[in-house]
Amino acid sequence: MHLTHLNTRGEANMVDVGDKQETRREAVASGRIVMQPETLKLLSEGELPKGDVLATARIAGIQAAKRTHELIPLCHSLALSKVSVEFDIDLAESCVHVTSLCRLNGRTGVEMEALTAVSVACLTLYDMCKAVDKGMRIEAIQLDSKQGGQRGDYQRMSAQAPIVTGDGVAGEVSLGERCPSPCVRVKFLAELRERVGESEAVVSLDQLASRDISGLKAALAEQDSRFKQLTDQRTLCAINQVMANDDALVTDDDEVAFFPPVTGG
Amino acid sequence: MAYGYEDTLAGRSDIGAVVSFTGLVRDFNETPDVTALTLEHYPGMTERTLKEIGEQAWQRWSLQAVRIIHRVGYLEPGDPIVRVLVASAHRREAFKACDFIMDFLKTQAPFWKKEHSTQGEYWVKERHSDQQDAERWR
Repeated sequence: MHLTHLNTRGEANMVDVGDKQETRREAVASGRIVMQPETLKLLSEGELPKGDVLATARIAGIQAAKRTHELIPLCHSLALSKVSVEFDIDLAESCVHVTSLCRLNGRTGVEMEALTAVSVACLTLYDMCKAVDKGMRIEAIQLDSKQGGQRGDYQRMSAQAPIVTGDGVAGEVSLGERCPSPCVRVKFLAELRERVGESEAVVSLDQLASRDISGLKAALAEQDSRFKQLTDQRTLCAINQVMANDDALVTDDDEVAFFPPVTGG
Repeated sequence: MAYGYEDTLAGRSDIGAVVSFTGLVRDFNETPDVTALTLEHYPGMTERTLKEIGEQAWQRWSLQAVRIIHRVGYLEPGDPIVRVLVASAHRREAFKACDFIMDFLKTQAPFWKKEHSTQGEYWVKERHSDQQDAERWR
């Protein structure tokens, strides 16, 4: 791995792209600007003193993409075939999500153009709203994906569901926090975790009518109706990482996992 | 010739057959345009289960070496997901043991696939045929 923008002496160097094949290049970048809920309300209703904020920021982002080479020292000037800048008003997070797509048929990538479009669109949003809110934050400007070029495609991994469900290693049961009174620690894995909306729960042994898996399922269902799904025939169970059925006994500090049928291999 | 399992064979002359199986990510499964998948597992139980499956194969057939490798996390079409390697004195035992290990891995080991496609993402459903395949060995 080496940096193409440095020469062998470590000096800045503009890459000669004359011999590269022309390919279809595309890049998507995103970022967001977080603001007070009142500011977002004014913005979405078009009540801000400087007028139509989003239309202005969109034009600013598109213009910026076309002029990236004037801002970033070693970028080539490119004839972009498409630049789009989109906004998504997010009331729950109190922010505006900004996404830009840039495309061309050419010899260099367009990720800098997409990132510049997002950055300048965010800066313009700040400028348009700063009269009412100076505490706005521009955040998470990043490349989401790029296609084409000799280094191949790139796709940012979505950071939604955790890949793994705990930190246990081979042959050991991860302990987590011990509960003060006798209890079992329950885990929900994979699709079941998403269906019940929980990854872990703790159930006191006193809550169990019978100290086995069916007793545990009943106690969980009583805690929260979402856990009624555990009685589904397809749901599997393991106690301390060994497969178990409804009659299997549970004792203090056991780790019990519920999960759907496995689909590996 | 590179086999990718030279270390298993190193210094041994009692091995007469090596069977290796590699499972790869396809770009079509429950939907036609699978762009990637994320494999979740249950750390701890995963290792324990794979070890048990290997030991069962070891007891059923006369084997010289067994190796099971399974990947987790984000994988794209063409990426290897799983590799099973079985070495024995004669080919029949190695073929059978490798088949057995894959059938049990697919129905017992705590892995779950979430497919990402152009139409969105979803958890892969279990297959009845995998259960039937595993039943053959009982």
